[in-house]
Amino acid sequence: MDMKNLPLAASILIAAIVIGGAVVFSQKPSDSGQIVQNVSMEGEKQVIEIDAKGGYSPKLTTAKAGVPTMLRLKTNGTYDCSSAVTIPSIGFRKNLDATGVTEVAISAESAKGAVEGVCAMGMYNFSVKFL
Amino acid sequence: MDTYTFHVQGMHCKSCIALTEGELMDLPEVTHAESSLKTHTVDVTGEFGDRTPQQVAQFLTEPLKRHGYTLHLEKQKHQVRWSDFTYAIPIAAVFIALFIVLQKLGIVNLAGAGQMTYATAFVIGLIASVSTCMAVVGGLVLSMSASYAKEGETVRPQVLFHIGRLVSFFILGGVIGAVGSAFQLGGTGTFVLSFLVAIILLILGLNLLDIFPWTKKIIPTLPSSFGKGVKGLRGTAGALAPMLVGAATFFLPCGFTQSMQLYTLTTGSYLEGALTMFVFALGTLPVLALLSFSALSIKKMQTGVFYKTAGLIVIFFGLFNLMNSLAAAGLIPPIISF
Repeated sequence: MDMKNLPLAASILIAAIVIGGAVVFSQKPSDSGQIVQNVSMEGEKQVIEIDAKGGYSPKLTTAKAGVPTMLRLKTNGTYDCSSAVTIPSIGFRKNLDATGVTEVAISAESAKGAVEGVCAMGMYNFSVKFL
Repeated sequence: MDTYTFHVQGMHCKSCIALTEGELMDLPEVTHAESSLKTHTVDVTGEFGDRTPQQVAQFLTEPLKRHGYTLHLEKQKHQVRWSDFTYAIPIAAVFIALFIVLQKLGIVNLAGAGQMTYATAFVIGLIASVSTCMAVVGGLVLSMSASYAKEGETVRPQVLFHIGRLVSFFILGGVIGAVGSAFQLGGTGTFVLSFLVAIILLILGLNLLDIFPWTKKIIPTLPSSFGKGVKGLRGTAGALAPMLVGAATFFLPCGFTQSMQLYTLTTGSYLEGALTMFVFALGTLPVLALLSFSALSIKKMQTGVFYKTAGLIVIFFGLFNLMNSLAAAGLIPPIISF
């Protein structure tokens, strides 16, 4: 390598380490893959509970396909982007109240594959996999 | 009397025309000077004795040097100061890493618990300013600050921007409170707006890096009235632009701003709505002001490093917004997820 480029290469390396380190070492506890029990049956209905505050928790939910499902989005003093939810596959879009519970119905026909939710600015998301 | 045409190195903005012409005309030897931004040249007419053209170029460079211009007989190749990147890249990386850590650690969770008071609105503003909203409004502020600094203006446009922002949050917050309906953009509107902001940030960021000369051609050029401001003419049109940009930030896609607008809606009173949005904007002020006036503090040191650092951060914010807006529209799978 040309000696002149050495400082530049070193600075790019430092930058990569700093940013890489920031991404790797600052995982939220909810990302660490622990299983949260957020799916339950209420009569004939499957109920999925997701917290919306500073992102969605849990981010990944596995549920039964072909069952009428109720998505329960819970906010608690949520003023960030996660209160503006869009679920494109079922055409849902709403600004949730800062504190409260919003129920989103997913019909038995729609409860298949992956249903993805995302906040209006795009940096928070959740996914429900129907198996 | 002789007329010479010189190539000006370092001429990058509209204010440069007024500046080079003014400085040259101040010399007793010069009777006329005319600069062109298009060709990066200056035509100088005057009495230079028996100096050779090369010596005239050197002589005329003297008063321009402190502004960063040099005159040459031959057209100069565009020079990229790659050495600036040696410092700019790690500094930008530290800033970006800090931004990512703050988001990952869930700083936004600190906002909002219990009753909404003016104090809560202020705290929410503080947190919003270091949240992902920083990628939008902060990116805009930083690119504006660095771009204006390049034109020679540091304080005035920034102050006007913040005044515009605070005033619009007060007035429009009051309107929402009184009228009882918020300015909510639909899905398409949000997408178009975030996409536009992302593209503008990318262009401004690339321009700050000063690698590709072509970015100057597509840049939404700052009106020349700003440029004239450098020479003492302070037009009202020049003041209006940064103020309007500041006022427009009310509508920029930011989850916190929208939630506050929704809350304001419920107040049902002009004064309460106005004060809530105003206090929220006041909460975002410290961090935004820091970004605004960063150009001031670093200007004395390494200007090249500063512009390139700012450029890299602005480009990061631009890419961040671009991917987010595409993900929010369902066009690409979410790549960035906090």
